[in-house]
Amino acid sequence: MNSANDNGERKVVTSLRDMPRSIAPPRDLWAGIEASIAADRQSDTGESNAAEVSAGSRDNTVTDLGSRRSSGARQFTRLRWMAAAAVIAALAVGMWVGRTIAPTTRPIANTGGDINTTANNVPPKIIDEPTALQAAYISDPKYRQQRAALVKSLEAKLASLPPDSRAKVTSSLAAIRKAKQDLEGALGKDPSNALLQELLVNTYQDEMRVLTTVHEASDSGQGI
Amino acid sequence: MTQIEPEDTRVEWEGALVERARAGDTRAFERLYREHVGRVYGLCLRMTRDPAIAEDCTQETFINAWKALARFETRSSLGTWLHRIAVNATLAKRRKASAVMESTSTDDEGEAIESEWTLETPLEVNEIEAAIEQLPEGARDVLVLHAIYGYSHLEAAEMLGVAEGTCKAQLHRARGLLRDKLGVEVR
Repeated sequence: MNSANDNGERKVVTSLRDMPRSIAPPRDLWAGIEASIAADRQSDTGESNAAEVSAGSRDNTVTDLGSRRSSGARQFTRLRWMAAAAVIAALAVGMWVGRTIAPTTRPIANTGGDINTTANNVPPKIIDEPTALQAAYISDPKYRQQRAALVKSLEAKLASLPPDSRAKVTSSLAAIRKAKQDLEGALGKDPSNALLQELLVNTYQDEMRVLTTVHEASDSGQGI
Repeated sequence: MTQIEPEDTRVEWEGALVERARAGDTRAFERLYREHVGRVYGLCLRMTRDPAIAEDCTQETFINAWKALARFETRSSLGTWLHRIAVNATLAKRRKASAVMESTSTDDEGEAIESEWTLETPLEVNEIEAAIEQLPEGARDVLVLHAIYGYSHLEAAEMLGVAEGTCKAQLHRARGLLRDKLGVEVR
């Protein structure tokens, strides 16, 4: 257990009443609290009708507070889990490739011709188009251009993969898409939250890894 | 001319922040958080003995406090109110705590444990913290609230949701255990 004396001070007391009452937490907890408050506010706004109906029975007494978990805290935890799921999804596809086709993969730059030949394809529904909010975070034009090209050709690339590989990629992209949507929603409520911003950028990077993997796997003629 | 007492100033300052927070000002609430987080985390850490759980309980305390600000009476102590919420958050994490405490509330309920918790020999804080950490949950909870944070038997009992007699019995037990662990008399 850390205490107020962890800084090397060896304080001596003659009574328990002289023990330090305040102990600084090892990290700043405010960011999580603020995110929960923001999420709660947004959910309160969105569910105003329901709240009006149940306002009479809502119990805000102190004695009940401990037993009620904060929906805001749950929301924040859920977002982190969603981002983690996106990472796992991307890693799963990446590891599979590493074990099966990595030695034969080519750099993504080599797939440029393939991307252009399928430029007229309708983007698959498992990939969503960047919204204004997303674009604000993912503002690198080169990244956006490459992503758009990969997304356009994704359907054709997926079609060339074996069914089990296709299912794996679709499932991974769905997990990533859900994480992105949730993070975007949370950022809409709390745009300045640095942790959420970082999680969203990480999720975009995960998505890029999966898209790149699909192209490499498809071009190599092997499954994922 | 009336002299302004520091405590009065603090209460007014805190009351103003509470009012602003009630109106939705999260910056004001953040200032309240920064002012009280040490005391809240200190209590949670001493009750849970686990820094990670104590962090969770601290966050929950302030989130719940934000939601319940409308119910807070500005004439009361915000610190005490936050401690009540913190105790609830901690007990909620330890769902069995109440049952354990009630089951150990048999002896010495009538014995008054009015004590200054003075040590026969001065000891280092870390040594005392380590001894408190080893106490059983029920005894540790009341000891922390009463001996360290200065709440009365009744206040500590109310916070923990136990009878006042139970609180006294647990304190009696805690004092004996602490004496054994520290090797000095605790008066």
